[in-house]
Amino acid sequence: MKETLLLTKHMRENPEDSHLIDSYEKNGGYETARRTLINGSPENVLEEIKASNIRGRGGAGFPTGVKWGFLAENEDRYLVINADESEPGTFKDRILLERDPHQLIEGIIITCFAANIKNAFIYIRGEYAKPARRVQDAVEQAYQKGYLGKNIFNSEMNLDLVVHLGAGAYICGEETALLNSLEGRRGEPRLKPPYFPAVKGLYMKPTLVNNVETISSVPWIVENTGKEYNKLGVEGSTGTRIFSLSGHVNNPGNYEIEMGSSFGEFVESLGNGIRNNKKVKAYIPGGASAPWFRGDQLDIKMTIDDVANNNSMLGSGAVVMMDEDTNLVNAAKSIVSFFAHESCGQCTPCREGTTWLEMILDRVASGRGRASDIDLLLDVCDNISPGLSWPPKMTTICPLGPSAVSPITSLMNDFREEVESLIPTKVLL
Amino acid sequence: MSENIKINVNGNQIESTPNKLLIEACEDSGIHIPRFCWHKRLDPVGMCRMCLVEIETPRGKMLVPSCTTEVTDEMVVDTESEVVKKAQEGVLEFLLINHPLDCPICDKAGECPLQDQTMAYGPGESRFVEEKRHFEKPISISEIILLDRERCILCARCTRFSDEISGDPLIEFIQRGNKTEVNTFPNEPFKSYFSGNTVQICPVGALTSTSYRFKARPWDLKSVRSTCNGCPVGCSTELNSSQNKMLRILGVDNDSVNQGWLCDKGRYNFEYLNSEFRLKNPLKKIDNELKETSVKEIYTELSELISDRNTNINFLIGTNSTNEDYVAFNEFAKNFPTTNQTFYLNDDYLYAGFFEQDINRATIDDLNNSEAIVIWAEDLKENLPVLYLRVRQAVKNGVKLIVFGHSNSTLEDIADFYYSEDIVSENFEIIKDISKLKGIKEHVKDKNVTAIIGKSTPYQLDEYLDKLVSYLVENSNSKIMNAFSSGNTFGAINNLDNVKNLRDFTKNVSSENTDLLFIVGSDPIGRSVFSNEIHRIIEDIDNVVCLDLFLHETSELCNYIIPTSSTLGEKEGTFTNIEFRTSRIDKLVPSPGQSLSDWEFISGLSNFCNFINNIDSLDGLNELAYQDFDNQDSPSFKNLDKPSNFDGIINDYQPNVSTMPNETITSQYFVGKKLYGDNITIRYSDSISLLGAKQFIEASESTIEKLNLSSGECTLKQNGHQVSANYVVNNKLADGVIFIPQNRRNFNRFDFSETIEISPNQSKEALNVN
Ligand SMILES: Cc1cc2nc3c(=O)[nH]c(=O)nc-3n(C[C@H](O)[C@H](O)[C@H](O)COP(=O)(O)O)c2cc1C
Ligand code: SF4
Ligand code: SF4
Ligand code: SF4
Ligand code: FES
Repeated sequence: MKETLLLTKHMRENPEDSHLIDSYEKNGGYETARRTLINGSPENVLEEIKASNIRGRGGAGFPTGVKWGFLAENEDRYLVINADESEPGTFKDRILLERDPHQLIEGIIITCFAANIKNAFIYIRGEYAKPARRVQDAVEQAYQKGYLGKNIFNSEMNLDLVVHLGAGAYICGEETALLNSLEGRRGEPRLKPPYFPAVKGLYMKPTLVNNVETISSVPWIVENTGKEYNKLGVEGSTGTRIFSLSGHVNNPGNYEIEMGSSFGEFVESLGNGIRNNKKVKAYIPGGASAPWFRGDQLDIKMTIDDVANNNSMLGSGAVVMMDEDTNLVNAAKSIVSFFAHESCGQCTPCREGTTWLEMILDRVASGRGRASDIDLLLDVCDNISPGLSWPPKMTTICPLGPSAVSPITSLMNDFREEVESLIPTKVLL
Repeated sequence: MSENIKINVNGNQIESTPNKLLIEACEDSGIHIPRFCWHKRLDPVGMCRMCLVEIETPRGKMLVPSCTTEVTDEMVVDTESEVVKKAQEGVLEFLLINHPLDCPICDKAGECPLQDQTMAYGPGESRFVEEKRHFEKPISISEIILLDRERCILCARCTRFSDEISGDPLIEFIQRGNKTEVNTFPNEPFKSYFSGNTVQICPVGALTSTSYRFKARPWDLKSVRSTCNGCPVGCSTELNSSQNKMLRILGVDNDSVNQGWLCDKGRYNFEYLNSEFRLKNPLKKIDNELKETSVKEIYTELSELISDRNTNINFLIGTNSTNEDYVAFNEFAKNFPTTNQTFYLNDDYLYAGFFEQDINRATIDDLNNSEAIVIWAEDLKENLPVLYLRVRQAVKNGVKLIVFGHSNSTLEDIADFYYSEDIVSENFEIIKDISKLKGIKEHVKDKNVTAIIGKSTPYQLDEYLDKLVSYLVENSNSKIMNAFSSGNTFGAINNLDNVKNLRDFTKNVSSENTDLLFIVGSDPIGRSVFSNEIHRIIEDIDNVVCLDLFLHETSELCNYIIPTSSTLGEKEGTFTNIEFRTSRIDKLVPSPGQSLSDWEFISGLSNFCNFINNIDSLDGLNELAYQDFDNQDSPSFKNLDKPSNFDGIINDYQPNVSTMPNETITSQYFVGKKLYGDNITIRYSDSISLLGAKQFIEASESTIEKLNLSSGECTLKQNGHQVSANYVVNNKLADGVIFIPQNRRNFNRFDFSETIEISPNQSKEALNVN
């Protein structure tokens, strides 16, 4: 199995200076944007994006062309790049920001051209200090060259791009919480309906929110046509994706591949297998929010639909391997702790429920569990995500609450004995 | 009007209107959905998740919060399914796991939505065995409000109220997740004129008021519906008492008036009722000393003076009485046909200009229904607080706001056009051509306009206001509201023939033309800018009868003092508000000692003198008040006591007011009133007494520099009278303008038309008071 480098080609070939504008331009950077702005039309760009069938890389996998089509008419519209990448296990946007910021800026220019947008924002996770510096420098270089600001490439187009740093909240990756945060409010998800960003987004104006990887793909698609992109990968999961592989593998890291091969193949070849030749006990196919797969499910294909059909999600493309020695209760506990810590606190079931789950798991993991705790865990989960089905139903405002349920249902469905074994046995009479 | 739509709830068809929230649509049809965060008067936030219901969607049944979901035609809803019940039980369990359950010592217990809904929808027992979340038990977030974060269920009602309704978001969420708490900002207390509303709408006992804390249990409370007589807005209230003591006032949702809200003065200015300083027995001055006497003795002495019906009697009448009281005085005065009787209202802002021009009267709801609002009056937030909220609401709905105010109006922040300094002179005259102002040209000329107009200071000339009123009447489709700001002013001018104001009193009344002066519920010496003149006049008159609740600077000068029942909770009657809307005043608690209602005293005197009046029953007075009206529209008790009229009835009576045009007395100072003053009732209401006690002046930084002030304190001196005060920096005030609140203690003794020496006072740090 081999990688297919579209987005990471330039950085792989120029490891020293891929973040600098000179390197980017030497390798043909900004040419697509220049040509598009001077000779192209917004309609054509939108056609190419639709033809590529690319789906959003932020987690939800929504078709990007369709999303752009939803953007409501208005004098003021905005583009916001979601660079809040905080899902445990996910670190793919980081390299795109840090090592090829101009590719993202070029994507932004083309996107704004297509959607007639004059103001764009990049919202970067607060902890990403170096990526943020690189992006900020790149934006300044682009302004100096006249690629941002007024009359870009001497065309009619004006575009201002602002880099904004978050303050360290995972929930600000949820697009409406991100918009609140960008406006200077508390980072809390908005109610959907009625606040769909494409209709009422930033400052209640129509807003496109897209992931870094999604928009970084735009220059390639426009340059090489949507049809070519559509040929890569498989139907429903076209193009390449950067998967972040971590956990008990020999070669963790980011790999850009066409979607369609199996998780097993991916781990064996690019990941170079599980360390110490151990077996896989369980793995997370798409970030901490995703239900786990068992070690005997490694032949599932890495496509959005295959993973969904097996009751999990490809999500943000974070693949985490857990070998046979892993204490899965502890693993679940640390994921639940993460979500409890990151809950915005707005809605009751998530605010109270996630912390309660964390407390119960903590008790069980440390050998102080009660026989009733398994039912209690499942019932508390059910009160956050009724029916414990996939995709999750929710009593909450946003999917963060149910995200804390995923590892617990995975644990209970497939590894129940492991939980039971930690609960002190009853006294026999 | 939009067409009705049909939805199916639990198998039954119900009708509703499009865009209505599901929770309201169900409520209208008698289907109750439990809720914590949703409040009819606040934007929905969908946070508590208690109101989840199932609706059918193309992708199957879906759980949605009914407080954020709008109804659509043919919607199929289940509010009682197993899934719904489980979710609601789950939410309640989540809310309770960290709840301290200190119901036995909680003010809310007994009327607590959390308790009630736990009984109705909650799990029977707790499965939570870990330690609960802890916060420091109640912390003071202002002089009058306490916050217990352990009890808080984070419903955002208080934060939304402060942000959306009152516009002073001083209470907010901090932290996140399980650590989220409501709190104020460092060094910024919850200093809002409307803070009591948050206590009322908090669905648990997290927010409590110093005034009601630990005073009663809801099941011991008696209550009646009444009307606040704190200012002419006339908010609808519910009065609560226990063991014959008034303990609490709540806002009632009167859609046309206060929509459930009250200002803190209206809510907390009642503790004086229980004060030990209340007058209990009639007093008579003998050798300059007040001695207890009987009402009968006072009647006897007065009858000697008046029974030949040839006495010159004047009335200095306050705005704290009921319409029925006013009718009684009016009828009584008719017994003296050959002499002159005049009613002087205890108000230095009243002027007659409105009644001489042919204006259309505005209702409060007109604010919402007009294209623009024009305001030129006293600071609305300080003087007609809930009207200020209604103006904010209209502005939020897109109505343009044009404000004149030569400086320092709290409306400045929300006005689309704020005309001050260069347009309004220091004497409060509009010195530019009104028709040329942009806001007027674009939004007032030929438009539907609601205007709120009244004097900004007692020194403002009537003709300045007349000019704006005439412009509006001639150039727009305007409705005008008279912004008189004290109590039952509209009841007084509606029911008394020929009302004049305090300035007229100082010009007209003297011992020469007055054999007997009645002072009814008024302390002009303590509060008015004409204090010194009035003091001299009253001292000069031989026979002065005063009806009051307390001894104060005015009442202590009188020869006879009658203790009276308070219009707040101690008597029945009616009140007429700023829209000429009349509504019920009701009685809940007895008044102390031998107190009488004003009308009882005057009708007793009338009988004693064998005058023939029909003023000896409350019902009779009430009928008399409204005898000129069509039976159906008359705000008589009979009509007002029908539930459909609980919110009051508006009348079109043309009052008879004829103040003298004031001659040009200018003041170098901007004299105005603050919400809390040194009024006798506030002084004896412990919870809020300090709020009106501080003496201060306001000026901009540069003015303060010019006065050489630096230590935070200064001394005001004039003719041997001297007051030490703080000064507050207010850069909204124009250069050179000094604001002096006339209703703070001892300020009334200054003559503001003369220079007051303001000098530095070397001590203490600047205090932030207002
Ligand atoms: C709790 C939560 C966290 C999220 N975090 C991120 C994130 O860090 N980065 C991201 O791109 N999308 C994140 N998303 C998804 C966004 O809401 C949104 O779907 C995405 O930015 C859309 O971009 P795309 O269409 O290009 O994928 C998150 C969603 C949820 C519910
Ligand atoms: S589910 Fe959690 S993160 Fe999402 S809105 Fe509710 S409290 Fe906030
Ligand atoms: S203090 Fe009361 S009103 Fe405010 S959020 Fe808490 S429970 Fe709600
Ligand atoms: S606004 Fe006026 S009527 Fe309403 S509560 Fe306050 S003082 Fe009373
Ligand atoms: S009442 Fe609907 S979520 Fe709180």
